[in-house]
Amino acid sequence: MIHGQTPGDADWRRALTRFVTVIPHTRELGLEVLEVTPEVTTMRLPWNDDLLGDTARGLVHGGVLTMLLDTVCGSAVLPALPAPEVCPTLDLRVDHFRPGVAGLAILAEARVVRVTESVVFTEGTLWQETGRPLARGIGNFVRLGPRNTPPGFAEALFADVAIDEEDDHA
Amino acid sequence: MREGFDNVDWLERTRAEGDVDAWLALIPYARRIGVSTLPDPQGEGLLFRLDPREGNVGNVLLPALHGGVVAAFMETAATLDLMLATRMPRLPRIVDISIDYLRTARLAPSLARCSLQREGRRMGNVRVCAWQESETTPVATARLHFVLGDPGDAGA
Repeated sequence: MIHGQTPGDADWRRALTRFVTVIPHTRELGLEVLEVTPEVTTMRLPWNDDLLGDTARGLVHGGVLTMLLDTVCGSAVLPALPAPEVCPTLDLRVDHFRPGVAGLAILAEARVVRVTESVVFTEGTLWQETGRPLARGIGNFVRLGPRNTPPGFAEALFADVAIDEEDDHA
Repeated sequence: MREGFDNVDWLERTRAEGDVDAWLALIPYARRIGVSTLPDPQGEGLLFRLDPREGNVGNVLLPALHGGVVAAFMETAATLDLMLATRMPRLPRIVDISIDYLRTARLAPSLARCSLQREGRRMGNVRVCAWQESETTPVATARLHFVLGDPGDAGA
């Protein structure tokens, strides 16, 4: 894909970091990419008082959780495809298990369940403390295909990404 | 009077006055993305508006609003609309949201209208339609379930 090579997990982590850093909303909130494999993508949203939905009770806005699930599920789509395509969200369903609380980072994990010719099916989970999930999301994304993906999309994702030296000589 | 959704007196007073701005002031994420209200020209209720801010962009190529920000806007609208529309002052807590993205939301003002489909003793169901150019061509539709809490029990 990059000069005919398959990007590794570290390349993908840098690429998705670039992806969420180019998006103004997630850049301004300081969203971090922790780990990327073809199956699972993990991110971390650092605490920020603007994430509150109820200042008196110190609860996270439910919409923050939807936004985060849309982002992590939409990002997990990219490494699961044969080549990066633009994949807008078709629909998203979020179940709120318990409210998020002020002061703690929110962790997000998404996995790709199935890739078809036209759709990528994903699911994601959010938590602040291990074993106590805040929300579950199910997001379906439409594959626009190479024809509707802007030229240079893959190159832009992997720009400034140094491929391991071994790969350079492969 | 102490402001807060868990203060029954404050909630009842702001609700009686239709002071949604007082509610928005306590919702930092809604302020960050730029949610405001306006009178519904077609009725007694409210329309909700999302400001087209650079910080709400989720796709720089188009550019388009972040789908998650549009969802957060619609959830805020549904919550506030429900707080006004119930027979008694209730404190909604979201159970689930399902959102369909119908068209690209451009970097332009978005409007939303909510309709309370059911107000039960414990549960509420709200539908939200969000649009930019025309209400007949929505950018997204959503349905949400809320537990309708008793404001007096909010601390529990």
